[in-house]
Amino acid sequence: MDEPALIRNAQHGDLDAFNILVLAYQDIVYNTALRILGDEDLAADASQEAFIHAFRALNSYRGGSFRAWLLRTVTNACYDELRRKQRHPSTPLEPETEDGDEMETPRWLADPDGSPEELLDKAEIEHAIQHCLENLPTDFRAVVVLADIQGLDYSEVASALKKPVGTIKSRLARARLRLRECLHSFGELLPSAFRLEEERTL
Amino acid sequence: MNTPSFHDVEQLSAYLDGQLSQAEKTRLETRIQSDPALAAALTDLRQARAILRRTPRRRSPRNFTLTPKMAGIKPPVPRLVPALGWASAVAMVLFVFTLGTNLLGQISFGANAPMLSAAATSREGYGLGGGPPATDNSQVLPTPEPYALTVPEPTPTGEPRLAQPPAAPSTTKASQPIDFRIYAWLGLSVILILAALLVRLTNDQAFRRKVGSKRNQ
Repeated sequence: MDEPALIRNAQHGDLDAFNILVLAYQDIVYNTALRILGDEDLAADASQEAFIHAFRALNSYRGGSFRAWLLRTVTNACYDELRRKQRHPSTPLEPETEDGDEMETPRWLADPDGSPEELLDKAEIEHAIQHCLENLPTDFRAVVVLADIQGLDYSEVASALKKPVGTIKSRLARARLRLRECLHSFGELLPSAFRLEEERTL
Repeated sequence: MNTPSFHDVEQLSAYLDGQLSQAEKTRLETRIQSDPALAAALTDLRQARAILRRTPRRRSPRNFTLTPKMAGIKPPVPRLVPALGWASAVAMVLFVFTLGTNLLGQISFGANAPMLSAAATSREGYGLGGGPPATDNSQVLPTPEPYALTVPEPTPTGEPRLAQPPAAPSTTKASQPIDFRIYAWLGLSVILILAALLVRLTNDQAFRRKVGSKRNQ
C-alpha cells in the first residue's frame, strides 16, 4: 500500500483511495475507541464519525504519522462521546437473577475475592483491563491506550493528543501506577501470569 | 526502603519505553541495583505494561468505509440539467406574462359593466309585455337572438334603436377562450421541469450503480 499516494489522492477527493486507508486502519481506530469508551456500539459510532471527519478534514493533514493524525480524530470523537455521556448519564441494563436482583459479573465489578481461575480467563482479563481503564481520568486513559495498547511511541502519542512529550511521559507513568494498583485487586495470579509473558517479550 | 518519588516513577516508566538518554539510563540502572524499592517499582510498572500489551485485539464489527453520501460527495450534474432548468424558468415567466396580459384584458372589460347593467335595465323595461312589435327585427338584426326580441326600442323613425349591438361584441369577447399561448407556456415549462428531473434521476442512479460496483470489488 502506497500510503502517501493514497493520502494525496484522497486529499483530491478520491473516495476509493480513502476507503483503502479506512480498511487498513479501521481495526486500530475501533480498538482505540473501544478501550477509551468501553462500549462496542459507541466505539463503532465513534470510529465511523472519526473516518467521516477525517475525510472532510484531510486537507489539514500536513505530513508526519498518518496513524497518529487519524487516532487524534478518533480520540476527539471519543472525548465528544464521553462529554455527551456525562451530560446524559444512563444506567446499563444488567442481566437479572431469579430473585430479580442484578447479576454481578467481573465485567462490571472488580472483585478482590474472585477466583484466580476465572480471572485467568481471557475474556475476564479483557474486562479487568477495561474496568481499570475506565477508572482512569480520560486524559490518562487516552495516553495509556495509545502508548501501551496501540504501541505508539511518545512523539506519536504527543502528536495524536496535541500535548508535549513531557506531559505524555508524566501521564503515562501515573496511568501505569494506577492501573497496576487496580489490576492487583483482580487477584494475585493475574500479574504473575503476565510476568512470564513480559519476560518473553523483553 | 524508601518509596520512590513520582519523578523516579516517571524515569522508570520512560526507561521501560527506551525514552531516556544514555547518561540518564546508566544513572538510573545504578540506582535500581542499589535501591530495592526502585527495583520493585520498576517490576510493577513492567507488569502493568505487559498486561496492557496483552489486551485482546478486536476486529472491527463492520467496515467503516464511506459512501459518497457519508462523505458529502454529490453526483456530478449533467450539463443538460441546468439548460433544462433555465428553459423551464423562461417558459414559466412567459406563462405568467401571458396569463397576466389576459387577466388585464378581462379586468378592462369589467370596467364596462355599468353600461351592460344599464342595457340590462333597458331590456327589462321593454320586456315581453312592453316592447313594440318586432315587426322589422328580422330585417335589421342579422341573427334572431332571443334577447333581440326584448331590445328594440321605439325610435322617432319607428325603427328599433340598436342600443344592444355595441354591447354584444364585448359580451362575445369576454366569453372567448383563454389565449392558447398560456397553455403552451405552461405545458412547455412542465415538460421541461419533468425532463430535468428525469435526467437528474437517471444520472443519480447511474452514479449509485457505479459507486456500488466499485465498493463491491
